[in-house]
Amino acid sequence: MVTLDEVLGSGLLQKPSGDAPEALQRQITNYKPLHTFKLEKTRPYQQQYADIYFLRLTKIRPAVEAAASVAWEGTVLGGEKVKRVERVLDVRQGELCWVAGTVYMDMPLKPSILEDVSKDRWISAPTSVGHYYSGNGEDSVMLEDDSGRIRLVGNALQNHFMVTGCIVAVMGTENANGEFEVIDLLFAELPPQPERWSLSKGKKEADSSEDVEMMDASFSGQSHKPSSKKIALVSGLEFSNADTSYAMELNLLLEYLLGEALDPSVQRDELSHITRLIIAGNSISTTAAEQAKPAAAFDTTTVTNKFQSQNKKYGYDSSSYNPVPSQLLDSFLSELLPTMPVTLLPGALDPANASYPQQPIHPAVFPQSRTYMPPPKAGAGKDKDAPEEEEPGWFDSVTNPWEGEIEGWRVLGTGGQNLDDVFKYVESEDRLGMMEAMCRWRCVAPTAPDTLWSYPFQEDEPFVIKECPHLFFVGCQPEFGTKVIHGPDRQAVRLIAVPSFSETREVVLVDTETLDVERVKIVAE
Amino acid sequence: MEDYKTYLAENILSEDKVVTYRLLSRALRVHPNVAKQMLHDFHKTQSSKKPGTVYATYLLYGIKKSVQNHNGNAMDIDLPSSLPDADPVDDEEVPSYTLVLVQEERLADVLKEYETISSIHVYSVGPHPAKDLTLLVDAAQSALAIKDDAKKPRPRPIVNSHVRRRERKGLGLEAAAPAKQESKTKAAPTKTAPAKPSPAPASAAAPAKPQEESKSAAPAMEPEAPTATTKKPAPSLKRNTSAASGIMQAFSKAASLPKKAKTSEKSITAAEETPAALSDDGEDDDDVPLPKPGAVSTRKSKKEREEELRRMMEDDEDEDMEETADSPAPEEEEEEEPVVEEPPAKAEVAEEEEKEIVTTTGDGRRRGKRRVMKKKQIMDDQGYLVTIQEPAWESFSEDEAPPAAKPKPKVTNSAPPAAAGKAKKPAPKGQGNIMSFFSKK
Repeated sequence: MVTLDEVLGSGLLQKPSGDAPEALQRQITNYKPLHTFKLEKTRPYQQQYADIYFLRLTKIRPAVEAAASVAWEGTVLGGEKVKRVERVLDVRQGELCWVAGTVYMDMPLKPSILEDVSKDRWISAPTSVGHYYSGNGEDSVMLEDDSGRIRLVGNALQNHFMVTGCIVAVMGTENANGEFEVIDLLFAELPPQPERWSLSKGKKEADSSEDVEMMDASFSGQSHKPSSKKIALVSGLEFSNADTSYAMELNLLLEYLLGEALDPSVQRDELSHITRLIIAGNSISTTAAEQAKPAAAFDTTTVTNKFQSQNKKYGYDSSSYNPVPSQLLDSFLSELLPTMPVTLLPGALDPANASYPQQPIHPAVFPQSRTYMPPPKAGAGKDKDAPEEEEPGWFDSVTNPWEGEIEGWRVLGTGGQNLDDVFKYVESEDRLGMMEAMCRWRCVAPTAPDTLWSYPFQEDEPFVIKECPHLFFVGCQPEFGTKVIHGPDRQAVRLIAVPSFSETREVVLVDTETLDVERVKIVAE
Repeated sequence: MEDYKTYLAENILSEDKVVTYRLLSRALRVHPNVAKQMLHDFHKTQSSKKPGTVYATYLLYGIKKSVQNHNGNAMDIDLPSSLPDADPVDDEEVPSYTLVLVQEERLADVLKEYETISSIHVYSVGPHPAKDLTLLVDAAQSALAIKDDAKKPRPRPIVNSHVRRRERKGLGLEAAAPAKQESKTKAAPTKTAPAKPSPAPASAAAPAKPQEESKSAAPAMEPEAPTATTKKPAPSLKRNTSAASGIMQAFSKAASLPKKAKTSEKSITAAEETPAALSDDGEDDDDVPLPKPGAVSTRKSKKEREEELRRMMEDDEDEDMEETADSPAPEEEEEEEPVVEEPPAKAEVAEEEEKEIVTTTGDGRRRGKRRVMKKKQIMDDQGYLVTIQEPAWESFSEDEAPPAAKPKPKVTNSAPPAAAGKAKKPAPKGQGNIMSFFSKK
């Protein structure tokens, strides 16, 4: 317990000394983004979505079947030997077998395009429905592959998360109703994990051996090695014109990251070690035009109720355009960028495309921060851009989901839409568990394209996780959470659920050497 | 250094404002840590002299005494739906620090809640107890608005020497550098001028310089009322030089074009916000600001020209549009902006030569804005129907023409851009045609 007398007269609570302290240097981290989720600018939308499932199955099936054969080969149940069946339709009644395929969840609460069209409902944006899980027995789980589908039943299903799009291998038999009774269930498990520094070759290891002196244990009992670098993760900044309840916290966050706040000792030990900020989605919130219209007195650009209908042109109300949120975000970033590189992932509320994978936010949104981004490529960008060899911009606007390598660790991050969608399928609230499940399914967005709007991939499905990341973060979650999961092949993944700043006012700091996590909460009373 | 007391006394006591340490550090150009100490000192002395006049808020950072551990994930008890591998344990306890802003009345109470405090300092000092945080927010925002004097940059707590900025592919950096210096000093009355030319030319110079410029440019572009009009020129100028750097090399006089654009835009009182700069014609925004200042200035000078024309026509029936158009325009500008004399005249010429802005979108099409002559019929106040030829910007989109079709700086009279594009190909005009060489045989 600290009393006021103790702190008074120490540190900064004293007369100003004459000398001006010198500026601290911020270190840099090795940073190499991958462009796994970048789409071509001239991409066609003529294809069917079914190809996504086919690609996913083809990619993951070998791994699943390998795991299944290891687990079940030679198993004898009730005097019968388990056989492997090639296709779902080859399952015979009464025969004990195992088969691999894609899960399909048939839920009446799911938004169904066929229903909407038949009832002549026009949807212009993804409708946000609550849970699809009805819990009253109407939902059914099916196993599907190119040949057909079969319904799955059994108590073994309850122990696992199941969503449309995950690839499983099930063992069981067909019962009299034509349903497949599941005895055991297997996923593909974590994919092979690359070594640290696998992408950036020849990285000098000198950084970690640089520091020799150990600072005194300052406050928490942990002795921070002076050169331990940290990455700050934040999401859901939600700059908005209308909602100012967290505006002070946003200012404090800026000061915290800039290093202007706090004592010199903290600045030296902690703040100058934050080497990069990753913003994981929802930086701009929708204006309050969608809220109760009578309360629209916050902005001089919005007209009163009477005249609002006159401004509607082609269904788009131009008076509801409010540039202030993006300006606020831009000034926030332009203050921060001179001292810290920033990676920006778009989220559900950001000005990027609505379907997965979201493409990077265009530099036009940031007139001031634009100077820190790489210049637009002069010249034809007809073919797929190949900027892999270029240096990433200081301010990197990236796709959602995003994959990259920071300080040698493979990082995979999303803005939260995939997890939120998976959350709607299951009854539990264990978001970390769902993140773990996604890793084990080897698919970062299994519900695409079923309920998560997505691009119809034709040749390659990038949502399949080919190489296991070391760090997997998901932004815009209601709560903070972190866990380390392990795989059968000595893989270890740190999962982080980054909470939405507008709700919880928290920032997550990740140590780049140990992948340890800290959280900082900002309170303004 | 001692003047901080007077500054604080003035702002807090007289002007009734809340002063945060950031505001103080930027205003007095001191390190933020020093500013915090200043605030504390002022608060102490003031409170001892006259208690109750100033109220402080403190910023604390430390570890709160942990309330009981709670599960991060609320597991649903009915269905243990975790995967077989994971055991249902709590989230690991991660160290959790709290950064809290607290008023001085509550300071003692809040301190009790903390296990360890690693940092405490004064955040702000104000004349009233800070009940409402919006005052603080406003104070914080106003801290950002204080412009940076490029000559004496304020000390930054943490710098990053690795910062990379976009290379400004400006023309003739050396030539522009002295121009930049003189324009900086010249434009003391117009405070926006130094911000503008400086981002334009000298960006690819030493990294320290761009840092300063951005600092001056960035605060210069805050959405404040007085600087609203300048906001447009600033982003437009930035984009000016960054857009398709090939053009810049082609038009060496285009450097003066921003200056001209700036002066003409000042005369436009309508506070066009950045949405205007974000262009409503859906073009690739790289090329918009370049024609936009052009269009704007042509609009303005056209208006001036029209008035001059009318005046002229009343006095003297003899009219030669082009001559009178050109001369009043620089005249007008000179009257309004005595400071910048030469650049408008130069820029006028430069603008005349700037015929086409092209974006290479690489889609297989050339798009951009082209300057064409359009005829306009106006009813004179004497009842005369007058036809005037005015240059105007028109957007065009055509298939990629061979690189030989570069925009030539000559005035074309054809309205349709397709025709304008074709007109560049040497149509058999006899003299200028290479085919004439062969036809004689």
